[in-house]
Amino acid sequence: MSAVHVPSWPGVAASLVLVAVALAVVARARLRITRELVVAVVRAGVQLVAVGAVLLAIFKYAGLPGAFGWAALMVVIAGQVAGRRGGGVARSRMAATIGVAAGGGSTLLALVLLGVIAAQARVVVPVAGMIIGGSMQASGLALRRVDDALHAGRPAIEARLFLGLSAREAFAPHTRDALHTALLPVVDSTKVVGLITLPGAMTGLILGGVDPLTAIRYQIVVMYMMLAAAALSAYVTTRVAETALFDEAHRLRE
Amino acid sequence: MTFVLDAVSVRRGVALLLDDVTATIRAGECTAVTGPSGAGKSTLLRLLNRMLEPTAGRVILQGTPLPALDVLDLRRRVGLVAQRPTLLTGQVLDEVRVGRPDVPPEEVRSLLAEAGLPRDFADRATAGLSGGEAQRVCLARALALRPEVLLLDEPTSSLDPASAEAIERVVRDLSDAGGTVVLVSHDAAQARRLAGDVIVLRAGRLEEHGPPQEIAYLQSSALP
Repeated sequence: MSAVHVPSWPGVAASLVLVAVALAVVARARLRITRELVVAVVRAGVQLVAVGAVLLAIFKYAGLPGAFGWAALMVVIAGQVAGRRGGGVARSRMAATIGVAAGGGSTLLALVLLGVIAAQARVVVPVAGMIIGGSMQASGLALRRVDDALHAGRPAIEARLFLGLSAREAFAPHTRDALHTALLPVVDSTKVVGLITLPGAMTGLILGGVDPLTAIRYQIVVMYMMLAAAALSAYVTTRVAETALFDEAHRLRE
Repeated sequence: MTFVLDAVSVRRGVALLLDDVTATIRAGECTAVTGPSGAGKSTLLRLLNRMLEPTAGRVILQGTPLPALDVLDLRRRVGLVAQRPTLLTGQVLDEVRVGRPDVPPEEVRSLLAEAGLPRDFADRATAGLSGGEAQRVCLARALALRPEVLLLDEPTSSLDPASAEAIERVVRDLSDAGGTVVLVSHDAAQARRLAGDVIVLRAGRLEEHGPPQEIAYLQSSALP
């Protein structure tokens, strides 16, 4: 691998010139988002410096346990964010957290235990970020569909219950629909990977000096693990959410 | 299949939907549950297949309290047709088989005929059915389980006269054959035509219970 060339701090400061150009465009077009843009620029800088410092500390002092701790924190945050998508679904944040933990956690562990990725903090943290991000999106989409089913699908669910179907059977068409919706984005992006966008992991490796044929090996693993994590997370989230929808007598809760 | 409602109350929040109702719904005949809007008629019906649980009192079927029975088995034995038809599949044949996927096509055709529809209706798509046709398909779907009790919640309230007549005929045939039917209806004339026993609810309380000719609500009701 050749030496990686990264921007120096003066280089980073110089990139502010580009921000000034953006601000000039915004001012000239009278878009009235100058303030928002400045806040976004400052916020991005502060957030990234903070995350960089935390990651440095983890890599240096906390090692692999620290990396998994960081991943656990990501799961909790992802569960809160995805759970919000399930507005009217009881305990939707718990369902999303369990779903992301099960789907993302098992995928990450499988990659480490099978030796597909190195068991090092500097590898586990970014890979966990990708996996948990994908799991969060899938769980959130699934919960949104479960919420829709609860509102628009109530008469259909009850019609099935009237026929003696169990709660699980009565909800099965909605479970399928939720999984389908949750998986479409990741299936689509898997189909077109490399054709429309050069994905993040591959871009990062190429920027870091890895040759493209090596970089794609990583990307293939990333795509497949994202599929697995999304499918598992959406499935577990939907099933946990579903159990909270019905009571023990196979009735929708009020 | 005799139901006993034993001092049953249903409370939701501060509202008392049913208030200390005690009544026996006899096997082998049609019982009409009637009364003004908001009297608790549908609430009573949903107690009978455990889509609702009483907050006080018990519902007993043939001597056994409902919670002691397998709830899914209970719902197969006690079918319910809702006020508004909800179709679940794309084709009438599949629709009739939702509760019992192993019904042979020939039996589906017989069930449709029983519900007052042509036998070849099985091949129709469910999209585009009229309200009356859809309701009769829902009736055939409930009958496919060969329920011992049929619960009907205002099944003809939004239907054309021909569809309403077809559904009334099914109710008459079932009760003539010794089946148990519980019909929620705000239509006094329909209750008089079909029921051997009438329960009148008002504001959640049992107001009258007896044969239709003795029920003051049916005689005085201004409804047709």
